[in-house]
Amino acid sequence: MSILVVEDDARSGQMLADLLRGDGFTVEVCASGSSGVERLTRSPAPDVLVTDLRMPQVDGIAVARLARDRSPTMPILLITAYPELAQRLADCAAPSPTIFTKPINYPALVEALSAIQARPRA
Amino acid sequence: MIVEPGQETRFAELKRYVGFTAADAGLLRGFRGAAEPHFERIAQEFYDRIRRHEEAHAVFTGEAQIARLQRSLVRWLERVFSGTYDEAYFAETTAIGRMHVKVGLPQRYMFTAMALIRSSLMQLAGADGAVCGAICRLLDLELAIMLESYSDDWISRIQHVERLEKEALGRSLAVTQHRYVNAVELAHVLIVGLDGDGVIKLFNREAERVTGFARDQVLGAAFITALGFDDGDAARLRGVLARFAALAREQLVDPQASTNEACSAPLETAIAARSGRTRIIRWHLTHAPCEGDEVSVFALGLDTTDERALLARTQQQERLAAIGTLAAGLAHEIRNPLNGAQLHITYLDRALRKDHAQRELLAAVGVVGDELKRLGGLVVEFLDFARPRPLQLRPLAVQSLFERTVQLVAAAAATHGVTVTVDAPTAALEILADAAKLQQVVLNLAQNAIEALAGSGGAVVLRARRQPRMVAIEVEDGGPGIPAGTPIFDAFYSTKPQGTGLGLSITHRIVTDHGGSIDVDSRPGSTVFRVMLPVEGPQGPRAPLYEG
Repeated sequence: MSILVVEDDARSGQMLADLLRGDGFTVEVCASGSSGVERLTRSPAPDVLVTDLRMPQVDGIAVARLARDRSPTMPILLITAYPELAQRLADCAAPSPTIFTKPINYPALVEALSAIQARPRA
Repeated sequence: MIVEPGQETRFAELKRYVGFTAADAGLLRGFRGAAEPHFERIAQEFYDRIRRHEEAHAVFTGEAQIARLQRSLVRWLERVFSGTYDEAYFAETTAIGRMHVKVGLPQRYMFTAMALIRSSLMQLAGADGAVCGAICRLLDLELAIMLESYSDDWISRIQHVERLEKEALGRSLAVTQHRYVNAVELAHVLIVGLDGDGVIKLFNREAERVTGFARDQVLGAAFITALGFDDGDAARLRGVLARFAALAREQLVDPQASTNEACSAPLETAIAARSGRTRIIRWHLTHAPCEGDEVSVFALGLDTTDERALLARTQQQERLAAIGTLAAGLAHEIRNPLNGAQLHITYLDRALRKDHAQRELLAAVGVVGDELKRLGGLVVEFLDFARPRPLQLRPLAVQSLFERTVQLVAAAAATHGVTVTVDAPTAALEILADAAKLQQVVLNLAQNAIEALAGSGGAVVLRARRQPRMVAIEVEDGGPGIPAGTPIFDAFYSTKPQGTGLGLSITHRIVTDHGGSIDVDSRPGSTVFRVMLPVEGPQGPRAPLYEG
């Protein structure tokens, strides 16, 4: 299972990716919304999207929408300092993204990703 | 009628004007014998003559009356030739005159009648010039006396009308005065009237109330000194009064002088009321002279103290709201660097463990992690306090909150040797409330209570009672108590080293959002936090409309 992390705070994005890799996940990192969008247009599509919400120019909502367009069943995890904003997106998209409020509970994130990984493939 | 010696009676005066003498009296007396047989005839002819006139019929009521009048005329003729023309005679004639007026006999008819009688009597006297003269002079006297009655009557009617008009005017004036006095005295405006020298001549009730001076104390005193204006205000007021005085002088010379300057621009002054408190008054001074009234300046004052206080409070609230928004934004933004720091700490911790690093290094990393968690918690609590989500109301039983609280604090209670008991009725106490938020409240209070007993152990009681329209929830502990005056509900007030200080502020906010109230009763050995909540929720018909 491949994870795409989109986070405009480069160091945090990198560190998250390193930690996840240390826990056995395959991770790619994009340091901006636009590069995230660009990656999503390429194949093969990632299996899971973990994205920040508020990013300049192309924000997490745009990234999440594109991901849904490309793979309607792709699990999306939002990590954000603004959970209220995230709630708005969650209300309209299905399956609803899971929201992790910053500073994220890393073990809980790992648990969620492991659960996704354990699910039988659609 | 009492006549002073030397004072002439009216009758004597009239006799003097007409020239009626004692000799005339004698002549008439002498002629009586010759005239008497003719009296009946003369009276008959007289009334026959009158009957011929249409207008006369309006005055007479019928033949019986005319018969009576004829007999009266005969008696009158007897009087005329009686020979005695004293004050009694004058009084009788006056009475006859008054009778004419009373029955409404128009003056001209009385006049014409007299002319008729005169003509009849002249015929009787014939060629006797002296008798004719005496008869004429007496009839002139009669006429004069009876005309007086008409005049007297006229005068008395005029006086009566004048009196009525005066009374009506008086009543009208009284009404007007009452109306305007009321308007001045009932107005919620200070109304002070000054004369041309700035001396107080009018001081209404509101002025008394606001300044604390009774009108007796200030009437006659100079406005500027009596009301204790400060130097700056006094100077400005003096300027206005001086302008008005100049305007008054101009108007003396040229009454058409411009009255544009008759009103001053609003002037705000402070007044030190007698109670010692300061009120801010916005004055409008107007120059309005009136002929006959010494008051020429009206100072109308509006007490704007409360208005300004409200404005200041509103501005303060807006400022706080702006700061609140900024702070909330800041809190959100802080989450980003916190996230980065925590991720790196997670990494450090992991790497150090893998490396079997020294305990101290791991401990240090642990501390950083804890502090970061604490920062994160502070952000959450602050955001919850600053922008709480709307209440999700549903019916809930207070007992269920208590049960859950006991479960949640069980571990901490056990650690500190504290027993937590529930004292509530067996029947469910239902209220309309946000379950999660109220749970937060009860939990917060219970945790505080347990912490108060941390050193000594003891008992915490969760109590609930039903009251009219309300439910009372109490959390009691036997701890050392809270010193009076401690601002426990203030945000960021905390006695705990790891405390955020927001717990009770949030609790207070939740309680008031529910339309309830919270207070504490504390002394060493017993502290009770009491929360009152309306049974029907914050929008319930009986919930208080305002905080506290």
